[in-house]
Amino acid sequence: MADKPATVTINLDGVDVDVAAGQPLIEAAQKAGTYIPRFCYHSRLEPAGMCRACLVEVEGPRGTALVPSCTTPVGDGMVVHTKSDTVEKAQAGVLEFLLANHPLDCPVCDKGGECPLQDQAFAFGAGESRYVEEKRHFEKPIDISDLILLDRERCILCSRCTRFSEDISGDPLIEFKDRGNYVQVITFPDEPFASYFSGNTVQICPVGALTAKPYRFKARPWDLEAVESVSLVDTIHSKVSVQASQNEIIRIYGVDNDATNHGWLSDKDRFVHDHIYAEDRITRPLIRENGDFREATWAEAISLVGERLGSFDGAKVAGIGGARSTNEDAYAFSKFLRSVVGTPHLDAQVGDGLDAKFAAAVTPRAEIGDLETAKTILLWGPDLKEELPVLYLRVRRAATHLGAKLVIVHPRRTGLDGVATHSITYRPGTGPDLLRKLAAGDGDYAAVRDTLSEGPVVALVGRAGLGEDPDLAEAVAAFAVDLPDAKVMPLLRRGNVFGALDMGVAPTLLPGRVDVDDASGRSALEAAWGSLPEGPGLDATGILTGLAEGELGALVLNGADPVRDHPTPSVARAGLDSAEFIVAFEMFMSDSAAYADVIFPVAGLGEVEGTATNIEGRVQKINRIVPPSGMARPVWSIIDDLALAMGSEFGAASAEAVGDEITRVAPAYAGVAWDRLSWGEGRDGFVLPTADGSQPLEYTPVDRSVPIVSGHRILHTARVLYDDGVIVRHSSGIAGLAPAAAAHLHPRDASVLALAEGDLITLTVDGEVTLPVVIDPSLVEGTVYVPFNLASTAGLGAVGTLRIDAVRGGDA
Amino acid sequence: MSSTWSTENQQRAEEVLGKYPEKRSAVMPLLYIAALEHGYVSNDAMREVAELTGLTSAQVQSVASFYTMYYREPVGKYVVSVCTSISCYLRGADDVLAAIEEEAGVLDGETTPDGLISVEHVECSGACGGAPAVSVNWELIEGLEPDKARDLIKWLREAKPEVVFGDEMQLLFGGRPSFDWGPKEIEGAIAPLPAFSPYGTAKGEKR
Amino acid sequence: MTDKILLSRMEAHPADSNTIARYLDTGGYTALRKALSKMEPADVAAEVKASNIRGRGGASFPTGVKWGFLPPDTRPRYLVINGDESEPGTFKDRMLLERDPHQLVEGIIVSAYALDVHQAFVYIRGEYPKPARRLQRAIDEAYEAGYLGDDILGSGFDLDVTVHLGGGAYICGEETALLSSLEGRRGEPRIKPPFPAIEGLYAKPTIVNNVETISNVPWIINNGGATYAAIGPETSSGTRVMSLSGHVNKPGDYEVVAGLTWRDLIYDIGGGILDDRELKAWVPGGASAPWFVPAEHLDTPVTIDDIAKQGSMIGSGAVIVMNDSTNVVGAAHRLVRFFSHESCGQCTPCREGTTWLERILARILDGYGRPEDIGLLLDVSDNISPGLRWPPAMTTICPLGPSATAPVVSMMRYFRDEVEAMIPGGHGEVADGR
Ligand SMILES: Cc1cc2nc3c(=O)[nH]c(=O)nc-3n(C[C@H](O)[C@H](O)[C@H](O)COP(=O)(O)O)c2cc1C
Ligand code: SF4
Ligand code: FES
Repeated sequence: MADKPATVTINLDGVDVDVAAGQPLIEAAQKAGTYIPRFCYHSRLEPAGMCRACLVEVEGPRGTALVPSCTTPVGDGMVVHTKSDTVEKAQAGVLEFLLANHPLDCPVCDKGGECPLQDQAFAFGAGESRYVEEKRHFEKPIDISDLILLDRERCILCSRCTRFSEDISGDPLIEFKDRGNYVQVITFPDEPFASYFSGNTVQICPVGALTAKPYRFKARPWDLEAVESVSLVDTIHSKVSVQASQNEIIRIYGVDNDATNHGWLSDKDRFVHDHIYAEDRITRPLIRENGDFREATWAEAISLVGERLGSFDGAKVAGIGGARSTNEDAYAFSKFLRSVVGTPHLDAQVGDGLDAKFAAAVTPRAEIGDLETAKTILLWGPDLKEELPVLYLRVRRAATHLGAKLVIVHPRRTGLDGVATHSITYRPGTGPDLLRKLAAGDGDYAAVRDTLSEGPVVALVGRAGLGEDPDLAEAVAAFAVDLPDAKVMPLLRRGNVFGALDMGVAPTLLPGRVDVDDASGRSALEAAWGSLPEGPGLDATGILTGLAEGELGALVLNGADPVRDHPTPSVARAGLDSAEFIVAFEMFMSDSAAYADVIFPVAGLGEVEGTATNIEGRVQKINRIVPPSGMARPVWSIIDDLALAMGSEFGAASAEAVGDEITRVAPAYAGVAWDRLSWGEGRDGFVLPTADGSQPLEYTPVDRSVPIVSGHRILHTARVLYDDGVIVRHSSGIAGLAPAAAAHLHPRDASVLALAEGDLITLTVDGEVTLPVVIDPSLVEGTVYVPFNLASTAGLGAVGTLRIDAVRGGDA
Repeated sequence: MSSTWSTENQQRAEEVLGKYPEKRSAVMPLLYIAALEHGYVSNDAMREVAELTGLTSAQVQSVASFYTMYYREPVGKYVVSVCTSISCYLRGADDVLAAIEEEAGVLDGETTPDGLISVEHVECSGACGGAPAVSVNWELIEGLEPDKARDLIKWLREAKPEVVFGDEMQLLFGGRPSFDWGPKEIEGAIAPLPAFSPYGTAKGEKR
Repeated sequence: MTDKILLSRMEAHPADSNTIARYLDTGGYTALRKALSKMEPADVAAEVKASNIRGRGGASFPTGVKWGFLPPDTRPRYLVINGDESEPGTFKDRMLLERDPHQLVEGIIVSAYALDVHQAFVYIRGEYPKPARRLQRAIDEAYEAGYLGDDILGSGFDLDVTVHLGGGAYICGEETALLSSLEGRRGEPRIKPPFPAIEGLYAKPTIVNNVETISNVPWIINNGGATYAAIGPETSSGTRVMSLSGHVNKPGDYEVVAGLTWRDLIYDIGGGILDDRELKAWVPGGASAPWFVPAEHLDTPVTIDDIAKQGSMIGSGAVIVMNDSTNVVGAAHRLVRFFSHESCGQCTPCREGTTWLERILARILDGYGRPEDIGLLLDVSDNISPGLRWPPAMTTICPLGPSATAPVVSMMRYFRDEVEAMIPGGHGEVADGR
């Protein structure tokens, strides 16, 4: 691991202190207990040294000079004065300058009460302003995107937002304009600040210049309660502060940590929260009666489900879902299905993921932090900007600030190509072939192969598109593990899917990453649970096919929507159609829940507590801040009742009790009791396995991939950040942000088919959709790209032979 | 390569892009070429420069707006820039500006309704020894008195030269220069941007 | 007095001093031949160092010392010539570019050879199309003659020179702002260190030198560094082109050897005060420099050190003379307005402070001054440049902000009663002119 940082001694206001070398003075002083005012400085941005609020005096060979402490690195023997008369006057002077043009609208400003300008003016300022001239005027808040408002009169030109957008997110859409006294921050006319990361600028704006529309006028900071938690929007599990006023969640802020997100969030993480207040949220149990749903009491719904599930032979029941759950909920789900119902058929994925053992237990597994030291990063998988945006930021940082070389393999241009050393595009289906050439360093790939030979290597592997065979990812990983000093990170995107897999919501895994075929693991679990069905079960596709073919009879859906998410929707529909009984744990009437016989309303974001496991296998604590809406309940407690109704007493008094049971039953989780996750080093969670003595699965990927023999043109379909899933659709802030869907064609394909931009074509794979054509030279010839699961592309599916019918040809 | 520019301007853009180790460095010359193509640095012009350099339009706007010579609003065929910095001020520049405003019939920062003449005051033009100084499309005239300044405006209005030459205007309207200008200059300005190849210059034929 | 170094050709051959024919005819490109055929790059650098020449761009930093800062192993390196000349009062580089561009081109080639540079840029302010054209023509001629391009004069040394026009921004004269601008960014100064010699253009080692500085290089190589060093006082060696403007009878560019007095410069060379009036004050080294007044400074010598000792600077060599008709508030306002207009806007004290000063001065000029404005002007200045000393203490990234306080402080120091007289209710006498 990293060497212990060297220290230097500085004299800070007359006291010698030892501080870590290489850091800016402003940080060192703060760690030593002296806060120096600042506006432009932000620990996660490159220092700009332009607001000049942080001036201090440093003694030098030519006397004492005022220097900005944010751009001055500490040096051994440095003598620093932060409270001399000169410093105090200079700092007060800067504050007076900043306030000269700042409006006095604090009472109506969202930032009022948590405003660094307000606070520091109070602490370091002189009081009265002597500025009697006319202040700068700008049109009061203007929309610069669907989410962000800009008030240029309040702006103090610290450039945090512009530096974030340019350096961190790579979306330089908000910039300084004009010069001197006329400088303002602004977008280009008709080109809004449409960045997936725009909300971060609101959070780091030291005044109320940038505000978020969803939060505007919602609350005053002093009315807010907050809890630390993690975002389950994707598998990064970014650390967040969930903030509520009067029992209503109104804001999510990023929390800085080294482990995952550096404080940054995607706008989806940030603005997703109000789906829990959507009008059509299911807040009472529903029972199907004469084709319609009616509301029911919990007692009625539980006993009905207990009775119906009990009427099936255990092995004819199956469960799908769990990625939206906490680990505790997923564990209860797993335990219930396996030990009470008696089925081995359960899967947290819906045919769109990776092999469960690979995803849960690949060794050596990379942590996000490994990106900080990687020399080479191989990314063969999804477009991170669309699917794992915060991981995109970390990879981008590695490539732009830390000198890592990035190799991207993807069917089309991705958000990271601009910073990649090599980016390779390929036709879906030809991956195995490409991998062989790459591994051999054939022809054009020699340079890429050379780059990959420089370790440490971090390989990020997943399915580049939903039509891609999951075995390919494993083949890539099998190649990558042999690279110098290599580690692999399997890329899955959905919420707590890694936690659910770890809890045994997988056909081949038992809780704690134990192989279903591991005899000693089985017997330990059997002892704890009382009973355990034999052998590996069916995966999601197998379950749906089994239902369709009558081999299975009942299905328990836990926050899963296979109709929308399965790569072959017809398989999902056929399965759900044929099931004799379906119970769904849900917040919304999803396309799949619509097939259910009973729906249990479940608690959601901010309403539950528990733990979750992220993409690196890091377990962190999720905290609750508001009570569940209506009669919604956490999954574990519903299951507790259900088990009882079916004659088994789980007896879990709380989510924490379930958590305790996990630490006892699931080998890899032995060391992560809740109380360890709330304090000190545990606040950032622990990467499993942390326990000794237990023997969780270690999985070495194998190359099982076979080249696909493909038709003339191949569909590439992949997710975009704002899709038409139930959560996004019900989050008012971001619901409207889904892009207009289109069929992307390579220019030559378009010309062969006599199609022009904007022409309508009908695509048929599993289902059929009609879309306008977009000419996209970033594709490989012979590929058609369509975003997955937008309102207008749902049902197309991802796997199968692609047919293209022109609806309307070019104008000519 | 952006498609809407004239072939000539596209060639100019190519030439400029070839001069620098990094594309971004070509932003400023490309903005001048864009001004030549679009008449001023319009939003479309900035968009095209963005495309040529791989920047966002917001970045190009940020650069363009930093400088005073990229006019982001339409300006007249002739931009008359009156230096009012210290040395010219001491030598009567404010009177020259007033005379020009009056003769042109527009105020500092405005353009005549016929789109012919824009008047602006500028900071130091580097002609302090020949103060007060005025330039037309960045072709300089030194030692200009208020009356001569009026004549200059009249002349522009009447002669409407396609190309303006500093030497010619100095001869007609100028006074004491900062230094002996030496030989006759052969190139002049064809638009309100610096007459420098590959943009904005024409060789004088009959000179 | 020594013969002129920089202006001799243009004075002797006014009709064609800018052409290659005349340049060759008057000993041009002999320094280049000498350097390429007889000298190692290090020898060339050693001559420049021995000349003791100090930069003519404003900071008066010894050129040879600066060159020595280049890290030995990093390539590419760049040479950038600063022709942004926008400091009010300064117009010497314009003349050098228009009238003797080959002198600069030869200086560039020889310097690039000394520095192992293969690409040089000349950044010329956008308002200088004619100087840029003249230089470009000289460069084209030099390419044709084999003085530029690949394998110059068969020596194996390659060099390309690109002329880059600015877009109207004084701050791009500050060397790091210039480099930002040349990279296609806003002309915002960068935090130093790192200095350009370590991390400059495209983050590569870069030497930035003024047009006049480099124009001296051919002479230094032809005549030897020691010969150059022997001209004038030890720490102000060589000749310097000074720009005289304002209320003198003969404004213009004059090449002088340091050591003459201000009286010599203003009365003899400058032909005395305009309209036969009294000398009131002058700016000794460009708009950024604190003013001098006859009672204290007229008979002091014009050298870098003497001026510095008296609390001002020679800067870019621009002398702006004000006679007794000058309204000091008006003059100070024009100077401060310039800095406010040209502030890049990064630093709070510069962006807000210069504009505030400008507003107060404008208000006083408009007759709305308040008694407290006197103290306010000084205190706002003090918040931009604490202590109001010389050289100025800085609260900013570059010296532009502090520069704006020089006129205010000078005005208050020498003419406080005139300022007070302009404030309603104040007393004293206001000057009659502008
Ligand atoms: C605000 C400001 C403006 C400047 N303007 C110029 C300029 O127009 N020309 C110039 O050569 N140097 C200018 N300088 C000085 C340069 O930063 C730099 O010191 C100089 O170009 C170095 O060249 P020299 O060593 O040959 O003088 C300016 C400095 C500052 C702080
Ligand atoms: S002092 Fe002024 S001009 Fe210099 S960097 Fe700061 S704001 Fe820009
Ligand atoms: S915090 Fe150091 S200059 Fe802004």
